[in-house]
Amino acid sequence: MTYTFFPGCSLDGAAKDYHRSTLAVAAKLGLELPELKDWICCGSTAAHSSDPLLADALPAQSLSAAGGSTVAVACAACYSRLKTANHHIAGDAALRARVAHVVGRDYDGRTPVLHLLEILCRDIGLARVAAAIRRPLTGLKVACYYGCLLVRPPEITGFDDPENPTLMDQLMQAAGATPLEWPHKTECCGASFSITDASVVLELGNRILAMAQAAGADCIATACPLCQLNLDMRQTDMERKFGRRYNLPVFYFTQLLGLAMGCRPDELSLNSLVVAPKALLEARGIGR
Amino acid sequence: MTGGMAPPIEIESIGGGLAGEVNEVSGASPMRCYQCAKCSSGCPVAAGGDFKPHELVRMVQTDQRQAVLSSRFIWECTSCHTCATRCPQQVDVAGMIDALREMSRRAGSVAPSTAVPVFNELFLDAVRERGRIFELGLMVGFKLRTGRLFEDVGKAPMMLAKGKLPLSAPRVAGKGGKAGREALFGRAAEGGAQ
Repeated sequence: MTYTFFPGCSLDGAAKDYHRSTLAVAAKLGLELPELKDWICCGSTAAHSSDPLLADALPAQSLSAAGGSTVAVACAACYSRLKTANHHIAGDAALRARVAHVVGRDYDGRTPVLHLLEILCRDIGLARVAAAIRRPLTGLKVACYYGCLLVRPPEITGFDDPENPTLMDQLMQAAGATPLEWPHKTECCGASFSITDASVVLELGNRILAMAQAAGADCIATACPLCQLNLDMRQTDMERKFGRRYNLPVFYFTQLLGLAMGCRPDELSLNSLVVAPKALLEARGIGR
Repeated sequence: MTGGMAPPIEIESIGGGLAGEVNEVSGASPMRCYQCAKCSSGCPVAAGGDFKPHELVRMVQTDQRQAVLSSRFIWECTSCHTCATRCPQQVDVAGMIDALREMSRRAGSVAPSTAVPVFNELFLDAVRERGRIFELGLMVGFKLRTGRLFEDVGKAPMMLAKGKLPLSAPRVAGKGGKAGREALFGRAAEGGAQ
């Protein structure tokens, strides 16, 4: 199976570990992800809160370069921006003409965009994922954290149940782990306030970590660079500010899947995690 | 604004002029709101705002332009879309706030406490320049512009050690290169009119 991969800026920067583990898991599943040539930034929140036309034009430039083949995305923010631009352009002929003028070529808004979770669960299928598991994550209790942008707005992303998504839970189950029921699957982590006002991220992230801990989680699984970075890199700051102790490793779901598929820790960049997972994995007999 | 309460709002006019503009820019329909406050109930940042989302919608309905465009809350919104997803009247509150941010900037009414517009501007400058975001450069640029040189100063070495902060910028990306992108940004600023 082949998809055109749109990595996005974070996967070449702070989320290099997500990139690396994505490719490692893809290789185990025979999933080919050739990178979209000449992709540019999706514009992220900066574009949609500054200029709606630019926010549609930036994704249109990248998507029109995909030649109509299905585009695979791992970053939740890129996924949201690409799908939103598609939704706007495909549903509004006048906007399509304006975007065509801005980008310099017509784009119909119909290049399919799928998140890696959708591809693994629906296209490849849980049976094939389960068949690739070599070292099941038995006994590992995982709080699957989806954040905002995969599930909302649901009429645009069409990802899963917007209040209780389960695609990541299903994958974790296929990998032998125990996904937990918990109420903060789609709460906001504060996203790019990490740079503009970190106190927002500390407050929101702390609520998420506290709830994961209350649900009995050993660790958190994420599918978004900002979610991962905020909950992992700022976890000690949250512990200090709110007088708590979490010590909850925050993985990309691809890192956990990769471990279960027998990838080496270095293939999954486990060393990049700030909250070290070594003790937890050893206690559960994982990754040896 | 000191104390917990926002000052009373002077009613400028009732008639939905601002609501009409919001609708034109974003497609959101604030006039549908009947004040159930479900948006504020699910909002992760409503508790600390000068106004809550349902209050902001009411203020848009009643055309309280100055209070709305100078509100802190429109910059504190995280764009999580919980409000719009749960609204029983399909009011796209998040879309409304995007439109208000743009209008606030154009009107020169941005609340002084926020650094978000500066960040957005630097972010988009970087996209125009290279086609992709170089995180280290963006962070340094933001610190220089806002004077927050020592905030989070311990994070950079940690990220470097974890391989999360590449030191080299990506090559200039995208078809047509930098000149192509300058032209694209220029045409977008003109509204895409032929």
